[in-house]
Amino acid sequence: MPTSLILHWQGGPTRGEPGAVLAGLAALTGRYDLALGARRVRDATYLDTVDWRLRRCGLVLSHEGSALVLNGSMEPRTTKLSETPTWPARVEHLAPGPVRDGVADAMWIRAVAPKVRSRTITRDVAVLNEDGKTVVRIEWTEATGREPVRTDPLVRVVLRPLRGYQGDADRVARVLLGAAGFTPADDTVFEQLLQAAGMGEDEPGAAITADMPADVAVATALLGFADAITDNLTGTIDDVDTEFLHDLRVAVRRTRSLLKVAGDVLPDRLAERYAPRFKWVGDLTTPTRDLDVYLLGLDELARSLTVGEPADLDPFGAHLRKELATQRRALVRGLESQRFVRLLDGWRAALTKVIENGRSPITARDLAADRIRGVARRVFRRAQAITPESPAEHVHALRKRCKELRYVLEVFRPLCPPGVYRAVLKDLKRLQDVLGAFQDGEVQSAKLRLYAHDMLEHDRPPAATLLAMGELLSRFVREQHEARHDLNGALVTFLGPKTYSRIEGLLP
Amino acid sequence: MKTVASYNIKGGVGKTTAAVNLAYLAARAGHRTLLWDLDPQGAATFLFRVKPRVKGGSARLVGGKRPLDPALRATDFENLDLLPADFTYRNMDLDLARRGDAKKTVHTLSRLLRDLSDEYDLVFLDTPPSLSLVSENVLHAADVVLVPIIPTVLAQRTFDQLVEFLGTFNGDGPRVHGFFSMADRRKSLHRELIATLPAEREGISATAIPALSVIEQMAVHRAPLGAYAPHSPAARAYDALWTELVQLLATRTTEH
Repeated sequence: MPTSLILHWQGGPTRGEPGAVLAGLAALTGRYDLALGARRVRDATYLDTVDWRLRRCGLVLSHEGSALVLNGSMEPRTTKLSETPTWPARVEHLAPGPVRDGVADAMWIRAVAPKVRSRTITRDVAVLNEDGKTVVRIEWTEATGREPVRTDPLVRVVLRPLRGYQGDADRVARVLLGAAGFTPADDTVFEQLLQAAGMGEDEPGAAITADMPADVAVATALLGFADAITDNLTGTIDDVDTEFLHDLRVAVRRTRSLLKVAGDVLPDRLAERYAPRFKWVGDLTTPTRDLDVYLLGLDELARSLTVGEPADLDPFGAHLRKELATQRRALVRGLESQRFVRLLDGWRAALTKVIENGRSPITARDLAADRIRGVARRVFRRAQAITPESPAEHVHALRKRCKELRYVLEVFRPLCPPGVYRAVLKDLKRLQDVLGAFQDGEVQSAKLRLYAHDMLEHDRPPAATLLAMGELLSRFVREQHEARHDLNGALVTFLGPKTYSRIEGLLP
Repeated sequence: MKTVASYNIKGGVGKTTAAVNLAYLAARAGHRTLLWDLDPQGAATFLFRVKPRVKGGSARLVGGKRPLDPALRATDFENLDLLPADFTYRNMDLDLARRGDAKKTVHTLSRLLRDLSDEYDLVFLDTPPSLSLVSENVLHAADVVLVPIIPTVLAQRTFDQLVEFLGTFNGDGPRVHGFFSMADRRKSLHRELIATLPAEREGISATAIPALSVIEQMAVHRAPLGAYAPHSPAARAYDALWTELVQLLATRTTEH
């Protein structure tokens, strides 16, 4: 079927009024007659996840009237709604139907929420040949952003060729493009609205440069992490989806790691003063995150049971949810406490002061070379000391050092040659994956034992549930053994000559 | 994809108006619909304001040398496309005969339409008035043959002849559905036949399309009735015929 052509029009708003639209299309009237069709007004709420997952997949999800509408590379999909939806909403809270099926993979576990609300006025225009036959359909559309900011009306003109009349469509396009105010476009209304509202572009954080004083570089990176904590705070408190807490924790971990590795360049004993405070934040968030992780994987775990039935784990799931509700209350109390507010405010003020008054005698380049080398040495030392008989604590210690190396590499990434950086990160990630699998197995086993103990004490679970949990336990232990086996091979690769020389090549 | 032919050996009985209005109603009901105007006079093509021209003409089309796709035209109505008439269709009998083997020849249109089966749910064939190789092709391609009958004794005789002819199709012939066309209730014979014939003859519906000027005005408006007189008695009569056709096609699906 013929494909539509989109044009932007830079003329003034017409509100779809007949005279104004016809004036806009006046260039066509030499050869064609124009017949105006209906004028339609519709309000739309465009939705996406906080990290633009739908947009990155080329999907445009909107709530229009009493329907969810999905556009993208596929045929448009619509799902009628029987009740007004509330936002944010995770995929399981969307109305079942083709739209939900179309966004499920892209949304993953994240919630969608309104990004832009708009009002669109559309006027249909039929382009008629000398027989009065419609040969091209035109949609004259004016979209006005209403929230979060009000935009000017954005006019787009969509030419829809009709089968057998492509020649006329080409001619109409040529004539309009030759007339004043029309330019070709390939974006969506959503993209146009985002651009007009100044949204949708990831704002790059302040970049570290090689000649920056070292304290300014470290404070700049830490301020970026503080921004990430702030960005994810409301979503965590409101429990929009579990990734807000995850991202908040990652920012806290990065903060703590950088304080440990390079906090000594900061003035006023900042690292010494704030490290325990961020440890408190980390500890505050851990119980909720552990339960989130368990609950996110519970369906898959239930399906994996071979002796027990998936439903055997239902009481376990209920226990986890009850526990999660308790832990979430504690988490929210903590994140809304004066202690937390003061921590974040004080931290931001202190970092801003450092950035404004940086006086470190060494540069970011010197610091990067020194600290990457230092952390890498510690990683290699730990890795070389691991043997098949090493206790689990030694493996965990290696994992922590690897995370430190990862974080310090990410902080100083702007100073590293991109190709070498990618190769080093690949080496490191391969080792981290195996270390992660090993530790996950151990943490999950230990947690499962604790949960079983708690349940026995409080919930009196059925025997089938405890047996099913036992089956899970054996799976975790088996996976841990497999990861331990894989670790030996991963260490041999990591400790080979290539990795170290790549890291040396990375140092600025 | 189902195929419906609007057919009668006689001309001027309302074949084209039936094909045009039923195709319009099918498209409005959401079916992806094609109307093939096989009549070289091109009345259906005119009614949809499409130029009666098919590149390569009948010879290339039925000769399989040119696919149908480039000849298709969108009408002004959603879901409704037209394969226009061309004056060379007057030679379509000869072009079909040149295909050789008589058995294959009568299935030529069926084969051509098969290529469109993914694109359309319903195809209407508006046929020229004759009993020819073209009409034989149409009758072989159709699942349902709609036969407009002017309520006269001679028209009734023609319907019987058609049913008899289709009886020779060895069991895989189309379903024949006669309906009254150009019915004038002021005439006693019309009234009498409309009242009695459906009970006496299998395959004749009691639905009667009235002889009204609003139907003749289709040529003035160059549009189906539904586009300019959707609530007229004539439009309602076509609605009733469309409802019957839907049931016939559903039965046809069950039978196959």
